[in-house]
Amino acid sequence: MTAHVRSSPELAPSAAGPYSSKSPRTDPLFEVDGLSVVYPRRGSQGPIPVLEEVSFAVERGSSLTLVGSSGSGKSTLLRCLNRLEEPTRGAVRFRGRDIRSIDPRELRQRAALVMQTPVLFDGTIRDNLRLRPSATHVDPTEASLADALIEVGLSADLLDRRAETLSVGEKQRVTIARALLTNPDALLLDEPTSALDPPNIALLTEAILRLRQTRALTIVAVTHQPDLVWKLGGALLFLVRGKVHAYTRMDGVLPSTIADPHVQAFLRGESISPLGKRDRERP
Amino acid sequence: MIALSHFQVGLATLLIAIVFAISILQALRLERDLLIASLRTVAQLYFVGLILAAVFAAAHWYWVVLILFVMMGVATQATVSRLERPVPGQYGIAAIALGSSSAFTLAYVLGAVVRVQPWYTPQYIIPIAGMILGNAMTSAALAGDRLQSDLRSRSGEVEAMLALGFSGREAVQPMIRASLRAAMIPTVSGMMTVGLVQLPGMMTGQILAGSSPLLAIKYQVMIVFALAAATALASLLFVRLSARRYLTPAHQLRRYLL
Repeated sequence: MTAHVRSSPELAPSAAGPYSSKSPRTDPLFEVDGLSVVYPRRGSQGPIPVLEEVSFAVERGSSLTLVGSSGSGKSTLLRCLNRLEEPTRGAVRFRGRDIRSIDPRELRQRAALVMQTPVLFDGTIRDNLRLRPSATHVDPTEASLADALIEVGLSADLLDRRAETLSVGEKQRVTIARALLTNPDALLLDEPTSALDPPNIALLTEAILRLRQTRALTIVAVTHQPDLVWKLGGALLFLVRGKVHAYTRMDGVLPSTIADPHVQAFLRGESISPLGKRDRERP
Repeated sequence: MIALSHFQVGLATLLIAIVFAISILQALRLERDLLIASLRTVAQLYFVGLILAAVFAAAHWYWVVLILFVMMGVATQATVSRLERPVPGQYGIAAIALGSSSAFTLAYVLGAVVRVQPWYTPQYIIPIAGMILGNAMTSAALAGDRLQSDLRSRSGEVEAMLALGFSGREAVQPMIRASLRAAMIPTVSGMMTVGLVQLPGMMTGQILAGSSPLLAIKYQVMIVFALAAATALASLLFVRLSARRYLTPAHQLRRYLL
């Protein structure tokens, strides 16, 4: 492996967040504080609230899974962490710094987002892995490109293959390899396995778990797979209609000890019903 | 040029009767639209003709400028109306793109090429401005519409680029390129066949009015090049200015606008 720029002076934690000042043992990578997102009014449609007063913290090197029915705001929340989405209220801190004080382009290389549908551009896998913003002066070496592929469980022989000849599962792993080349602190995964078949789900899950170990990556994942939640451990945030319904620690927890019936049902693999509406209508 | 009487123009309307007959016999149900369109053709052209006749007779610069502004307003409205979804500040963007591209091209053509004295001679400035604005309008609308639909269908690509740390400008560059190509290809392919299939309208008009074909082609070459410049400038400005509206200073894509 070649040496990557591990941290830039700009991103050095300048002010410790509230968590670290209160208890010195915690070292949160992300701190989310009273986050709300409202999509602006459009035409006859009024403003749409997507997230309401969401707060949590993710320790460095740990995991958080975001679950909930579709439309519950999971992906929007994930996209707030690398500032692809702008919160209406509240704040996100990354390494103790409000992300609004960090250049978004820099932030996105430190907190790498992997999308639900893998996006590879025209050209070879090498071209895709070498894709870098013009402002970045780090040019990955041939060896580091091959290493990145091997790290996600792919063969280095793929470098010369054209992107469109890969399967969806391979493409998804290439997008992770591409994200790894900036040596990020965190991987943000937006339903990474939803477009894959069971064998590919297993391969991808395996690759993610291995990366967390070898690179001490912090992982925040939106998922519908109870299996991934159990394997990642860390904490689980259950969203219902943009609000935190449950926020549970997953490490060393048995399914039977989880109090919330909806979380329990999700972890048993039952599909999530849009319970928000029904619950609200009940007195 | 042979003068046409109202009776002779009336004879021409018989040609429209052929279209009516086809519409009825083939059950195209176009009769109502055709009737309205025919009436509008007559009314609009007579109206414009009367105004132009008055402006030509008066030959005051302020009447000419007023007409140019009205043409600009109509072209701006037409450009905006072709966008499937509104863009914030769309009227300003369209006015800047059409206004500056047309003004520059028109000033060059009249001032440096034809050297019209005085510059506001209605016989030159109004028809040439009309052609330039009309083409600028079509290409700006085409480019803007294409940019919007590309950003919508390829928003995943834009956000994948942003997520890799690219700037907003870098992330939308492929869509900008595609929309500019789409807007400029009709002009370039038109230049490939100009004169071979049909004579351009202006050249036809000049020849009918008694000009020599050799003079008419000189004007036509100038106009073809002027239109190419105006369409390229108008679509570039329109696409660049509107692309900025879809992005935030924090390099985010405003997906709700798409």
